[in-house]
Amino acid sequence: MKAIKEEHVCKDDVYATIFSTYSKTVFNYIYYKFGNEEKAYDVVQEAFIKLWENCSKVAPDKAKSYVYTIANNLYLNVLKAEKVRLKYAPETNTVVNESPDFLLEEQEYKEKLERALAALPENQRTTFLLNRIDGKKYAEIAEMEGVSVKAIEKRMHLALKTLREQIEGI
Amino acid sequence: MQENYLAKWLNNELTKEELVKFKETKEYASYLKLREATNNLAAPDFDMAKAFEDLNKHKASTKSKVIKLNPYKKYMGIAAAIALIFVASFLYYGNLNEEISTQYAERAQIVLPDASEVQLNADSQISYSKKNWAKKRDIALNGEAFFKVAKGKRFTVTTENGTVTVLGTQFNVENRKGYFEVACYEGLVSVIYNKEEVKLPAGNSLVVINGELQALKIPNTKEPSWIRNESSFKSIPLKFVLDEFQRQFNIEVATENIDTNQLFTGSFSNTNKELALQSISTPSQIKFKLEGNKVLFYAETP
Repeated sequence: MKAIKEEHVCKDDVYATIFSTYSKTVFNYIYYKFGNEEKAYDVVQEAFIKLWENCSKVAPDKAKSYVYTIANNLYLNVLKAEKVRLKYAPETNTVVNESPDFLLEEQEYKEKLERALAALPENQRTTFLLNRIDGKKYAEIAEMEGVSVKAIEKRMHLALKTLREQIEGI
Repeated sequence: MQENYLAKWLNNELTKEELVKFKETKEYASYLKLREATNNLAAPDFDMAKAFEDLNKHKASTKSKVIKLNPYKKYMGIAAAIALIFVASFLYYGNLNEEISTQYAERAQIVLPDASEVQLNADSQISYSKKNWAKKRDIALNGEAFFKVAKGKRFTVTTENGTVTVLGTQFNVENRKGYFEVACYEGLVSVIYNKEEVKLPAGNSLVVINGELQALKIPNTKEPSWIRNESSFKSIPLKFVLDEFQRQFNIEVATENIDTNQLFTGSFSNTNKELALQSISTPSQIKFKLEGNKVLFYAETP
């Protein structure tokens, strides 16, 4: 995370820095919640417009939680969750020397994982993916979600447990 | 194993002993695979450059919006005020759409929609809503009028000085500058003056002169004397008498050297000018000079 100096949010460069630091996280956050890319994009727009409109009232060090809060409030009760779809980043070992059976098995596993993720309760999925994909620390997720770190740990634990059970068909 | 150990494991927070223990469980392999599989997960693409560009477009449009909105708001206030005036006057005239008035030396007789009768004395005005008459018998009065109210719903006469309410009766209301009088000739009349209610049975009157309230008996008649073309007074300051004379004959009245607050008891004819002048001047021991359309009341200095 880039350090943002104590400067005015209304300054174009400060604002741009805040945007490049947090916009992707906001986008992912909303996407994990509702599985709708378009809405996630709109939320980013609206959250940062609000930040711009209130730039004189928001201290730079509060900008992050301000944007998260706005994003959280915007579509909290309006949106109906859709199925979350995720991609797999290309594997680092480009040489594929696995057997076709193994590859098929891998493919099946990924599909099962995707279904299991989509079936998770919204708060568990959001927490799990913010940690796994965005590398967010539990403390930061707790701040975004407005709950305690312990509650986030509970969600992570339950998410892992549920995913395993779903994938293995228990 | 501690609470939420799976979360602790992912975060490398398990103690050595706990980790050993966890690795011995049969689920460990599954969790390991799950961790590896989710290592390569990625969210949908987010075009940050495009998002920032869109945002700047938004910012520009909100900026210009702010400039536009301010003067617009001012006009909104004015427009709202104008609309309010229109609505208020529409409602006002909608309710009081019949208006009858008399000039000096003029009278009028009006029959209301429910056959109630109103006799309007000189320089007076009433207004009421013909349309809503069946629902609400409300009349606004300025001046003096005698009412013969047909039995029915509440009948209300509103004046600047007070409100008179009856069900069915005969009564006279006079509302002039500094003078308010209600006389009841039949039935029972309720007068609201200064937020206080006074009940007037037949044969009683209520006079308010310059804010001072007096209850009086009235002569045992069926109608006020002015109906029979005679204005009568009982202990009324002379100036109100002279005002009435001016209204009845449309003659400009002037005074010189006389106390117009002296009380007058008596009456004057509404038809014979000379007689009326004498009726006023003789008891008050004053003289008068009639010149065309003007009359001067004066006292001779001894």
